[in-house]
Amino acid sequence: MAFSSIDEVRQRLDEVDYLVDEGTATALFFALTLGQPVLLEGEPGVGKTAAAKALARALGTELIRLQCYEGLTVSEALYEWNYQRQLLAIRLAESNRRTLADADLFTEEFLQERPVLKAIRYVGPSAPVLLIDEIDRADDEFEALLFEFLGESSITVPELGTFTATRRPIVVLTSNRSRELHDALRRRCLYHWIEFPEPQRAAEIVRRSVPAAGEPLIASSTEFIGRARQLDLDKAPGMAETIDWVSALSAVGVTELVRADIVRTLSTIAKTPDDRTTIAQSLDELGYPDAARI
Amino acid sequence: MAAEHASPQLLRGVDRAAFAVALAVRLRDRGVPVGLTAIEVLARALAVSPPRSRSALYWTARISLVRHQSELAAFDAMFAAVFDDAMLELGAHRAPPIGPSGEDRLAPVSGGARDEQAGSGLPWVSLPPVVAGAEDSDADFAVPERLPSALAARAEVPFDQLSAAETRLLGQWLAAAVRVWPARRTRRTAVATGGHRIALRSTIARSRRTGWEPIELVHVRAVHKPRPVVMLCDVSQSMQAQATAYLYLMRALTLATDAEVFAFATTLTRLTGVLAHRSPEAAIEQATGRVADRFGGTRIATNVQDLLASHHGHALRGAIVIVASDGWDSDPATQLAAAMARLRRRAYRVIWLNPRAAAPGFTPQVSAMAAALPYCDSLLPADTFGSLAAAIGEISSAVSSTRSRGSRDGTARR
Repeated sequence: MAFSSIDEVRQRLDEVDYLVDEGTATALFFALTLGQPVLLEGEPGVGKTAAAKALARALGTELIRLQCYEGLTVSEALYEWNYQRQLLAIRLAESNRRTLADADLFTEEFLQERPVLKAIRYVGPSAPVLLIDEIDRADDEFEALLFEFLGESSITVPELGTFTATRRPIVVLTSNRSRELHDALRRRCLYHWIEFPEPQRAAEIVRRSVPAAGEPLIASSTEFIGRARQLDLDKAPGMAETIDWVSALSAVGVTELVRADIVRTLSTIAKTPDDRTTIAQSLDELGYPDAARI
Repeated sequence: MAAEHASPQLLRGVDRAAFAVALAVRLRDRGVPVGLTAIEVLARALAVSPPRSRSALYWTARISLVRHQSELAAFDAMFAAVFDDAMLELGAHRAPPIGPSGEDRLAPVSGGARDEQAGSGLPWVSLPPVVAGAEDSDADFAVPERLPSALAARAEVPFDQLSAAETRLLGQWLAAAVRVWPARRTRRTAVATGGHRIALRSTIARSRRTGWEPIELVHVRAVHKPRPVVMLCDVSQSMQAQATAYLYLMRALTLATDAEVFAFATTLTRLTGVLAHRSPEAAIEQATGRVADRFGGTRIATNVQDLLASHHGHALRGAIVIVASDGWDSDPATQLAAAMARLRRRAYRVIWLNPRAAAPGFTPQVSAMAAALPYCDSLLPADTFGSLAAAIGEISSAVSSTRSRGSRDGTARR
């Protein structure tokens, strides 16, 4: 089921409509063959999360997703005891006049799986893909919780023992760099910095995602986005925004990019009022001068 | 592609471990910390998928060895240096040069003379002072055992009249002053007697002692963390007298509260890493060396914009932002107003430290200062160590009293 070469990774991801460059393909290939977690970083909207999703699709396996946020703890990420059932078990034992031994309440029966434990204990034809999304949003206490899992693919539950994965899950971590990750976490992962795709590949990606759009529209809009990224923007438009924009343009029946349509649909690529003003003012430089003023 | 098939495998017969170590050592020489794990990963990666082209080798090595985006440039340079000219003459079998790097670490760090030079008023004077300050060197030998009261008196002396040794002592005194810092409530909880919520896990675990009867309830409450701090310090020509003292303030904040600190004149320089150094002298010296644009003009607006746009801009969310500058800006005031408005929206509090604000009859008449003022929560004087300490006290009392009052009688937090 696994891939035999880097080219095969590209090919198989291509089949599920995710186009990768050589770097991303290499990173995913080694994540699979070496059994190491891979940390993907890059500007928002370059397709970090999509990479994990596409990988799961290409491998025909399950995607287990853990979305990180501040205050994430063991009970949301690794495992949790089922307290209600434990309390019920206590009451039941009392009514039957039985005595509960120590181990009786902390057994696998009362253990609830959360994403990481689920990935470790996964039984299925092939190893699952575990996506730990936006790890930078969790606080650094949470990073430390993951070290055992990332290093040894195991989790220790103090009351029960250590669960070790029989086959390592494929782990993909993503980060938007809103906070520096600890070196200990980086050390345990392969690292790949994803760049914005070059215009040609961007056009190819948009073509796959928005089949309804015409060729000239895709070419001109990806080129426009490429140049807009050079502007001083709060949030540079990523691939996701490009796809949204082309879908919006083609939804209103645009076949060729003109200034009026850009202004009309600007809200899909400019995500703050400042950016909106910046792009609107720079339309002349971006190659779409105001026809009325000429 | 055809070339790839013609040469089925690059680096045939090369000792993979030696090759990986050689690359790692070269990378370390360029300042990238490469761990043993990374070397092992590279060796395994080369075994699993022997690279068939230069770009395959590039990606294999990059993904295995590099762990940080900021290290990519160094890696690219190293890779180009090794592979651009000589393809297979990269000396894979050569012993890694352990000697120089080990010796570097043992090099003498600082002598008394260097301290004197670094601390003689201006930190980025590249030339040594013409006349060596006699009283400075005396002070260094005399082991200054100063009483707090003596220090407190010196704290009211303007920065440029302090000797290097006094500046250093006052800097340490300042670090001690940053003890209480405003906190914010996090989403994380910890066991506490006065907590509002019941921790089921600990309660049930404890009921084990009472025959599984949950008698003792264990409570949790939200954990408070020091509020993030971001400090921007102006180190341009007009701020030279204050710059060293502000570096000490930034160091104190870095140590006490995990602050992000930046120096700027014409460009922005991040100093968080270097200022966290254990030794204050080494920290200040390294920070001074890091700032490339000393003696420059000031571009406050551009630098604030750069900070907002960089990925450190995320550190500003919910943070107390301290800008230390006299407000002499060569950027247009409207640009600064726009940048400050954005900063204000993202930050929790914006505080401006101005060394001239202590002067009697001071009014913010510099156009940039006047433009920035509407977006600042307070403008505090900062011309002596005493006023810096007072500013810290004011920041922490103003912010934390709001917090405690808000949580006690339920008034909305501002």
